[in-house]
Amino acid sequence: MAASVVSIAADVGAGRRSAVDVARESLAALEAQDGRVKSFLEVSGELALEEARRTDARVAAGERLPLAGVPMAIKDNMWVEGRATTCASRILEGFRPGRDATAVARLRQAGAVFVGKTNLDEFAMGSSTEHSAFQVTRNPWDLSRIPGGSSGGSAAAVASRFVPAALGSDTGGSIRQPAACCGVVGFKPTYGRVSRYGLVAFGSSLDQIGPLTRSVADAARVYAVMAGEDPCDSTTLQDAVGVPEAAVARGASGLRVGFLTEAQVEGLDPRIAKNLQDARRAFQLAGAEVFDVSIPRAPYAIAIYYLVASAEASSNLARFDGVREGLRASDADLAAMYFETRRRGFGEEVKRRILLGTFALASGYYEAYYGRAMRARALLSQDFADAFARCDVLVCPSTPSPAFAIGEKLDDPLAMYLSDIFTVPASLAGLPAISIPSGLTEDGLPLSMQVIGPRLGEEAVFTAAAALERELSFPDETPRGLRQGP
Amino acid sequence: MAASSPVDADVVRKIAVLARLTVDEAELPRLADQLSRIVAYVDLLEQIPETATAGELLPPATPVRPDVPEAGGGRAALEENAPKLMHGYGAVPRVVGGGS
Repeated sequence: MAASVVSIAADVGAGRRSAVDVARESLAALEAQDGRVKSFLEVSGELALEEARRTDARVAAGERLPLAGVPMAIKDNMWVEGRATTCASRILEGFRPGRDATAVARLRQAGAVFVGKTNLDEFAMGSSTEHSAFQVTRNPWDLSRIPGGSSGGSAAAVASRFVPAALGSDTGGSIRQPAACCGVVGFKPTYGRVSRYGLVAFGSSLDQIGPLTRSVADAARVYAVMAGEDPCDSTTLQDAVGVPEAAVARGASGLRVGFLTEAQVEGLDPRIAKNLQDARRAFQLAGAEVFDVSIPRAPYAIAIYYLVASAEASSNLARFDGVREGLRASDADLAAMYFETRRRGFGEEVKRRILLGTFALASGYYEAYYGRAMRARALLSQDFADAFARCDVLVCPSTPSPAFAIGEKLDDPLAMYLSDIFTVPASLAGLPAISIPSGLTEDGLPLSMQVIGPRLGEEAVFTAAAALERELSFPDETPRGLRQGP
Repeated sequence: MAASSPVDADVVRKIAVLARLTVDEAELPRLADQLSRIVAYVDLLEQIPETATAGELLPPATPVRPDVPEAGGGRAALEENAPKLMHGYGAVPRVVGGGS
């Protein structure tokens, strides 16, 4: 479906089109093509049509709904009432939460319709969606390549035009990196802007829910609906959300745009280096003031991230032991229940991260690893604070290369982790950041730029990203991989 | 990988028990090698001079909601998702007294 979030909401809200009609179009599109992409773990057509009928009734009763009839896909690590939540893990197979995540409840209240749950790397740990226990999702621009991860299902579903918007979660780049690989927009808000209630926890000091869409304006609309304080998540912020959509229309004239010095290094993929120059020119054409800005501790971000996030994951995932929900693999005795459930339930990457996190927190290693990483994280945050005294937004590539081939990095965890080198710094500092498509390689793979803002600086991020979007005009078309025959 | 790596098969065996994970003996060398390479990479952090300012950078205080009791209402969902129920309670293997 070619329609955008904003246009669907306008048409359904004005009665020019029914939500049921839009939901049917979305379901038909994904039924026709998702067998090739494999972006969805569960499609819930009947429930979606019921929700669409409810939205139509609310519109008919005179309610004004900012997401009236917008079909959406939800990453399968968030609760949606009536649907399973598996986190793409055997250990949660069969788990059905009794309610919506707060972010999902707010979308529902705004008139959105949920067509299904999308694939991810197990418990959101990965950069390729190959670590799902159930299926490998393919990149719609080239079906032999990864869609990125961990929100690879959501990114592929939006790029394939099955839905105009999807939710992802971002711990170290899990919205922005797949958005970059699939040529869509992916936005991670400031830590605490969107409630994490009902998002299965991975790294609690980093996790943040955000939208994947085909335009910056659509991302701003979905974000505005979800953002704001929630009594169910004490880390949500009380600060006013503002009017993100107004920021999209604002021009970039006079905006101070810093280009990350540490990204412009020898050895950067020449396609990405050229694209970075294109982005620099685009900002200059839009009237922005462009200069280089350094984040001296950025090169340490991956090392910090894999200690902090793994430590938090090892703690968060301790709860999956056969007691409360999902899989119980043995009833022989308590120890057998714990060990056997976790042996059968968790995949290889999740076990590796739990082991790394347990190591970083273990007596004798804590100070040298977790403690050192937390101190380095504070210094990195200070680097960003210093940078934003000089510029309004920072720009760098979203990924160090276009989407890589399926299987290419599966046996080399460190190489896989380095895919997140440009997204992890903003995560560690809790900053808002967006990835927007910025070009295609000669062989037709999407390239993307990232715009990072200061804490609570979502509006500056949307203004800069929308300006870049206007200047670069990424092709609004069905991805090449889906235009070719099977 | 590196001979001086703090992660060897014995360490992996020990942290696996702490993490309630089973690692097959045959898998230990490969896992120890992968974790060694990751730990060797994160040792990069030793290059950062430790300064006094680091400790001063604390995250903003967590806002606290009003201390008002609210109904939970989650019992049905808990029961629906429990791997095993007995007499309306979640059941686990016997901890005291042997048998199951």
